[in-house]
Amino acid sequence: MKAIKKSSLIVLVPATLLILASSPSQLFAANHPAVAQWDLQVDTVESGDVNIGSDFEVAIYENLLKELAKTKRYGRVFRDGDRNANGVHNLLILKTAVESYTPGSEAKRAVTTVAGATKLKVRSKLSTQEGQVVLERFVSGNVRFFGGNLRATHDLAHNVAKAIEQSTLPVVPVSGAEKVADPASDVTGKSRSEDLGR
Amino acid sequence: MFHRSVSALRLGRLLAFLSLLVCYHGIAQDNVAPAPKPLRVTHILGLQGLKENADGTLTIQAHILRFQPHEGNAAEIQVSSIQDVALGVQDKEVGGMPAAIGRAATPFGGGRVIALFAHKKYEIVTLKYRDSDGGFHGAIFQLIKGQAQLLKSELQAGGAQVIEVEKSAEKTKEGGQS
Repeated sequence: MKAIKKSSLIVLVPATLLILASSPSQLFAANHPAVAQWDLQVDTVESGDVNIGSDFEVAIYENLLKELAKTKRYGRVFRDGDRNANGVHNLLILKTAVESYTPGSEAKRAVTTVAGATKLKVRSKLSTQEGQVVLERFVSGNVRFFGGNLRATHDLAHNVAKAIEQSTLPVVPVSGAEKVADPASDVTGKSRSEDLGR
Repeated sequence: MFHRSVSALRLGRLLAFLSLLVCYHGIAQDNVAPAPKPLRVTHILGLQGLKENADGTLTIQAHILRFQPHEGNAAEIQVSSIQDVALGVQDKEVGGMPAAIGRAATPFGGGRVIALFAHKKYEIVTLKYRDSDGGFHGAIFQLIKGQAQLLKSELQAGGAQVIEVEKSAEKTKEGGQS
C-alpha cells in the first residue's frame, strides 16, 4: 500500500510542477484582469549640455527598452522613429533627458571601495501624444562596487521602469478622438511638482 | 645556326608564357577582393536576440556588418543604415565577475593590490542605426586597443554615416560632469 502511495506521489508531484511551469501566464492572469493596454514609444536619450559619451546614451536607451518590456504593462514597446507607431491612438511617449553624469572608474572602485562611483541622473517624462504629462520624475542610477561603468545605465533603466510601473496610468482611450482622464498624481500620492522636487 | 634559332624561339615562347602568367596574376588580384579580416570583439549590448557580453567576430562583407558570436546565431546590420559611429575608451577589469569575487575574498587587503594590476584599457565602438521600420537602435562593441579606428574606417568606406565621431570620442575620453 505504502509503495503504491509512494509511486503515485512520484508521478503526481512532477506532473503538477510541469503543469504549473507550462502555464504561469494563465495563472497570473487571474490576478490582473484583461484591460486595454497602452502602447509605449521610447524616444532617444537627450544629453543636452551634459558631457556624456554615446555609449552611455545608447546603453540607457537600450536598457530602458528592455526593462520596460519586462514590466509587461504595455501592449507594445516601440523604438524611436518606428513607423508602426504611426496612427496608434493609445500611445504613451517616454522622453529621457540626462540631468547629470559623474564619470567613475572601475579600477578606482576596486582599489578604494569608496571612490570611483559612476552616477547618472535623468529626467523621465511620460506623456500622451497630445502632450498631456502622465509622469515626470528625476531618476538616478549608479554603480558603486562591482561591475563596469555601463552598469549604471542598467540600474537607471531599472529605476525608471519601476517608477513608471508604480504610477497610475490614465484610462486608455477607445479612439484617438477620445480625451484621456487627468493623471495628476501617481500611486504614492505625490503630485508632479513634488516628484520633480526630489 | 639552326640550333640558335630554335633556342631563341624557345626562349621567346618562355618569355611570352611568363609575361602572360604575370599579367593573369595581376588581373586576378584586381578582380578578387581581399577576404575581410574578422575582428575579435565583445558585444556589450544592443544587438537583438544576442546575449550581452558575448564574444565573437565582426566582419564587413557586401555592405553588411555581421557579428558572429562563438555560440548561437549571427546578427547583421546594413552598413548604409548606420547613422553614427562613436569611439571611446573604457578601463575594464580582466577576468570579469569570477576574478572580482576572488579578489574580494583575498585576505589582508591583497585584493586591492591585485586590482591595481588587473585592469586593461579597451576601445568601445558605439553604432547608432535604424531598422527597416525606421526604429532607432544602438549597439556597443568592445575591441582591443587599436582596432576601433580600423572598424570605423571600414564602416565609413562601406557607406556608414560618421557624423560626430571626433566629438563623441572626445566626450568619452574626457568624461563629464554637470
